[in-house]
Amino acid sequence: MLGKGGKRKFDEHEDGLEGKVVSPTDGPSKVSYTLQRQTIFNISLMKLYNHRPLTEPSLQKTVLINNMLRRIQEELKQEGSLRPVFVTAAQPADPLGDSFREAQPAFSHLAAQPLLPAELVSTTPLEACLTPASLLEDDAFCTSQTVQHDGPTKLPPPALQPVKDSFSSALDEIEELCPAPTSAEAVAAAADAAADDAKDHPSESGVQRPEGVPESRAAEPKLMDSLPGNFEITTSTGFLTDLTLDDILFADIDTSMYDFDPCTSATGAASKMAPVSADELLKTLAPYSSQPVTPNQPFKMDLTELDHIMEVLVGS
Amino acid sequence: LLGAGGGNDIQWCFSQVKGAVDDDVAEDKLLSELQYRKLKTGMRTAAKSGLSLSENKTQSHSRGEYNVYSTFQSHEPEFDYLKSLEIEEKINKIRWLPQKNAAQFLLSTNDKTIKLWKISERDKRPEGYNLKEEDGRYRDPTTVTTLRVPVFRPMDLMVEASPRRIFANAHTYHINSISINSDYETYLSADDLRINLWHLEITDRSFNIVDIKPANMEELTEVITAAEFHPNSCNTFVYSSSKGTIRLCDMRASALCDRHSKLFEEPEDPSNRSFFSEIISSISDVKFSHSGRYMMTRDYLSVKIWDLNMENRPVETYQVHEYLRSKLCSLYENDCIFDKFECCWNGSDIVMTGSYNNFFRMFDRNTKRDITLEASRENNKPRTVLKPRKVCASGKRKKDEISVDSLDFNKKILHTAWHPKENIIAVATTNNLYIFQDKMN
Repeated sequence: MLGKGGKRKFDEHEDGLEGKVVSPTDGPSKVSYTLQRQTIFNISLMKLYNHRPLTEPSLQKTVLINNMLRRIQEELKQEGSLRPVFVTAAQPADPLGDSFREAQPAFSHLAAQPLLPAELVSTTPLEACLTPASLLEDDAFCTSQTVQHDGPTKLPPPALQPVKDSFSSALDEIEELCPAPTSAEAVAAAADAAADDAKDHPSESGVQRPEGVPESRAAEPKLMDSLPGNFEITTSTGFLTDLTLDDILFADIDTSMYDFDPCTSATGAASKMAPVSADELLKTLAPYSSQPVTPNQPFKMDLTELDHIMEVLVGS
Repeated sequence: LLGAGGGNDIQWCFSQVKGAVDDDVAEDKLLSELQYRKLKTGMRTAAKSGLSLSENKTQSHSRGEYNVYSTFQSHEPEFDYLKSLEIEEKINKIRWLPQKNAAQFLLSTNDKTIKLWKISERDKRPEGYNLKEEDGRYRDPTTVTTLRVPVFRPMDLMVEASPRRIFANAHTYHINSISINSDYETYLSADDLRINLWHLEITDRSFNIVDIKPANMEELTEVITAAEFHPNSCNTFVYSSSKGTIRLCDMRASALCDRHSKLFEEPEDPSNRSFFSEIISSISDVKFSHSGRYMMTRDYLSVKIWDLNMENRPVETYQVHEYLRSKLCSLYENDCIFDKFECCWNGSDIVMTGSYNNFFRMFDRNTKRDITLEASRENNKPRTVLKPRKVCASGKRKKDEISVDSLDFNKKILHTAWHPKENIIAVATTNNLYIFQDKMN
């Protein structure tokens, strides 16, 4: 899913890189080189993020896959050095010692570092249109993550900013009644659009349509984002945390349609998730409507819109 | 020594196979370790859930017949409540201790805990107590009218395995190696980032001798993959890494051997460079030759022999399955590229390692010849000489050759062992154990 979309996007964009790319092969095989590189990159991401073992994943395997991703990232960085480099979130330093990290639930693959309030403050221009991280953190975000990982987990990604952007803009997508994002393209579009646009329109209420942003262009800066996160116990890398989180988020919603079975913990949780996350959605969407909302106040959203959202989430 | 020719060449023939007949692999039967006992003619295999010992019952050397001697559960599955993860009971490594008395001792380890087992035989039992009946009930002393001396009488052989020491809670990461020192008092255990030194008698304390964990785990790019003590120098050990390096350390230099005495690394071949260069350079096994002069390393595609006196390149390199080099992307996708193949020596002359499709390979260092054999039930009759196999890399496939695309990558031989004295080898497929021996035997 992610791979196919990625490949297509990258191919289309490749034409623009003629002459700038430094690759071991030249001529017509350059394209196949970049194609292979993208394929390997996608496979590596899948390995890291789609794997949910009952036992600890092999650290050696994780390290090797991470190195692979880093190398490709470096290559892309060099190739894309003439293009504007996206501002990346500062790499949060791990504030806690070994003991905490070792105690963390190991299935928090995606991110294992606790959220630092300082990190939020550092990205001031984007905060205006975004849900306060604490809300996102404790409620929708955590809840949905909880569902996928069979347990409570605190899951702030190392690069907080892109996550908030992508998540909120993904929510906007649902709000706008876009077709349910089932492909990585839409997810990437959401992420990239959020990352691109949020910076440009900080004052907007957050209702943004994903522009026809060349997704590969935005994907490149994403790739240059923060380095792999915490290795302790798990595989968290911080690569494309926003993309993959959304990917998993929506993937979960997608499959709940087919796997609906109250007995299984995963889908059982998923079915429980729907009403919860809808609530959280509403809470998080509240700031976008620029109106003070308390849980008691009836929302201004149209009931039919709400139904549509519920449908997307539950898949019924 | 190898080959299908005459003269002094070994002709390997099938001896035995143990394990399930069908291909469906029961999870707990997966063979995860295989080792020959050094001094006695015995062998043990570890299945995922237990540990099985086989003893050579026939004393004569005409046929190396192995029968199951003892089976016991070495480790139990555990649950780490702190991390909410299972700790598998799967045994990663077994090492025999040299025999000191009638009992055998071995160390077995799973991901987190090492156990010392004592295996003892009992084939006699005392009979004729005065105060106890044969079934153990106490007799009424007033009924005793005569006295007799208890005697030992033979009984059916009973093999008892009892855990003698449990070395736990010393490893945060998964244990990948254990190695007994030549002093027979200490041993090392290695996980992904640390190596600890233990005394066999002391379970509540171990000393950390190597620690490559970076202060910031995000900077982690290399892990320890295997470690072994030198067979003769009790202060020397080596450990290999996921980047294809081997470090030799001397424990006399410092308490924490973070600085190696020697670093063995072969420069990368630029013509073979690919995305997967690092992954296939990761060393999955390191073994000293019996003399201690050489060591052998196994990476994904090759076996390398190193002279301890030369650090900048191996003295010999043997390609195990070079035809896989063009398939690395697929093998990365299906995770086969992370398979950890082991290797073993026959003295200092022949090395053996496994491959896919239930093939295993032997390389003769002296004649430079190599052979590929297959462990399959088709060669079921004892004394059937194994036919050499060949994989056709590309082009026209000759008769009896197998093309790369028809290899079964689920049938992998990760563990092989060579009898310390005889030309008898044990080869572990996913759920079967094959024993082959020299036809001359």
